[in-house]
Amino acid sequence: MELAQWFFMGVLFTVSVFAFAYLSLLAKLKWYTWVSLFTGVVAILFGIGWAGASFLEGIAQSGAMALMLFSGSGLILMVLTWRYLVVPELNQPAAKSSAQDQETDE
Amino acid sequence: MSQDDQPGTGGNESTPEPESPRSAVEETTSNGEVLDDSGRRTFLKRAALGGGGALLAGGASYGFVKSEIKGKPVSDYPLIDETIFKPKDQRATVLAFAHSTKLGERYPERTTQYNELQNKDFNFQEGFADMYAIPWNNSKPGYTQMDRALQQAGWEPLKVAGSRMVANLQPNTPLHTWDQSDVEEEQYQFDTEKQASDAIKSAARMFGAVKCGIAKRDKRWDYDPLYDAENDRVLSWKDDFPFEPKTVIVMLTPMDYDCMATAPAWTADGTAADGYTKSSVLASQMAKFLRGMGFHAVGAGNDLGSSVPYAIMAGLGEGGRNGALLAPGIGPRHRISKIYTDFEFVDYDQPHNWGITDFCLSCGKCAEACPADAIPLPESKNGGYGFEPTYEFSDEPGYTWNNHHGIKKFYSDAKKCYNFWVENGSACGACIASCTFNEPDMWHHVFIMGITPKTPGFLHGWMAELHPAFGYGHTGDPKTAVKFWKSGEGMRTNSDMKNNIGTSNKS
Repeated sequence: MELAQWFFMGVLFTVSVFAFAYLSLLAKLKWYTWVSLFTGVVAILFGIGWAGASFLEGIAQSGAMALMLFSGSGLILMVLTWRYLVVPELNQPAAKSSAQDQETDE
Repeated sequence: MSQDDQPGTGGNESTPEPESPRSAVEETTSNGEVLDDSGRRTFLKRAALGGGGALLAGGASYGFVKSEIKGKPVSDYPLIDETIFKPKDQRATVLAFAHSTKLGERYPERTTQYNELQNKDFNFQEGFADMYAIPWNNSKPGYTQMDRALQQAGWEPLKVAGSRMVANLQPNTPLHTWDQSDVEEEQYQFDTEKQASDAIKSAARMFGAVKCGIAKRDKRWDYDPLYDAENDRVLSWKDDFPFEPKTVIVMLTPMDYDCMATAPAWTADGTAADGYTKSSVLASQMAKFLRGMGFHAVGAGNDLGSSVPYAIMAGLGEGGRNGALLAPGIGPRHRISKIYTDFEFVDYDQPHNWGITDFCLSCGKCAEACPADAIPLPESKNGGYGFEPTYEFSDEPGYTWNNHHGIKKFYSDAKKCYNFWVENGSACGACIASCTFNEPDMWHHVFIMGITPKTPGFLHGWMAELHPAFGYGHTGDPKTAVKFWKSGEGMRTNSDMKNNIGTSNKS
């Protein structure tokens, strides 16, 4: 079961990376927006990983606390960041081309 | 303004300028695909860069934790107050005293003073018989016939081997024989000291040790004189012990997490008894291994010397508030065995620091859980940490006869601890079960263990409070006994310690 947990965490991690890469094409975000989003994802994944291990070791209360404290905090951070820092950028008409221009410069 | 700051001014012709305020996703679908070729390349580049960066950060975090859990070598252990330190007489230990009616007759003031100060009517020497005489109650989880049977079964191999009293410091039992007649004449020659240490630790791991360290023999930790309680004989290292020890090999035997979690119920004593049995077998095997290589060796459990300082010297952990060795990854949930040998061509381990004792200064969960109030709370005088006991009545002349004075450590009142065992009907273990460092073997506990040395002291008390909030370390809960007796469901694999990377040993 532990191996299954690590595999599941790997899938979530990969999905997160792809989501971030795709988001970077959609909008040019400020550095602190990325920091906030990254922190949120790490907190969510950390909580899920902690909870998985806790359920496997038979201490469900620890899993519940981890989901609430770590993943919950991460989720709130992600939602707030998305609502107030990402969506306004996505609504900019030239968001996408700006983001791809940046890549072209690279 | 750089080009990066000018939306839509890039030179990539394959990225058309949006003509209407549609959503960004819709803008990329003008040719029916989510991303065009250039977009896909960009997407994959960024995914690779981001994923690679995240993996590097994860690898760095893993390396940091792995490094921290190895601990840092220290040179300031032990801190000794030479003005009051002296070798520990084995007769001045609670378990040896309880094991000997002769000592009870010889030192009646110990019992009298204890009963007067604690307002008790307690007989140390009759304690074990009284303890096992308490009848079971099949309607009380943790105190049923099944729990008593588990406890007795845990001890059974030691009883069969005539070595049950090794837990009460009895030396020269059959499993830990002083007989050296089977020492091979030819001595095996190791090429290097490291090779010898590795071989010893490999054998220890194969025998079942969860950790093994090697310390120089240090007379400060040896009981002197030794005492054979079964024959009421005082023994000397020089005249009675069969050889001059040079080295002490220390091994830890794990106890079951779910079973210990039932403390102070009788169930927990099942794994304590089992731990004593397995650690004694382990020590006898290691002693025989050394004798087979041509070196003198005697195994020991609680006898011959104080196990905790030897384990600290062997780099296996730090001293905790509860008086036990707290080993990273397993905490106090283990039994210590020792092997005294004259083999000295080894790579000695050294004491390490993981921030455990510092954490204990502000934690105190074991003291809160102790049903006998035998462990000082952090709020008590000096936090219970110093060169002499500071617990209740410790300023009464002679009351602290059982403590080894002059070493900077946590002092607890083992007399009250043992008294509770007798009232409880079994050894307790609440200080083990409640310890913040007593964790199942999962990655998140290793992670916390790794970052603990770097966390500021003012956070330690907060971390200690989170331990029970996360569901760990509760004691006196009947549900834990019920849970333990269901833990065999599906016969899940015992995965003890597989993640416990490092510490001071490779094994």
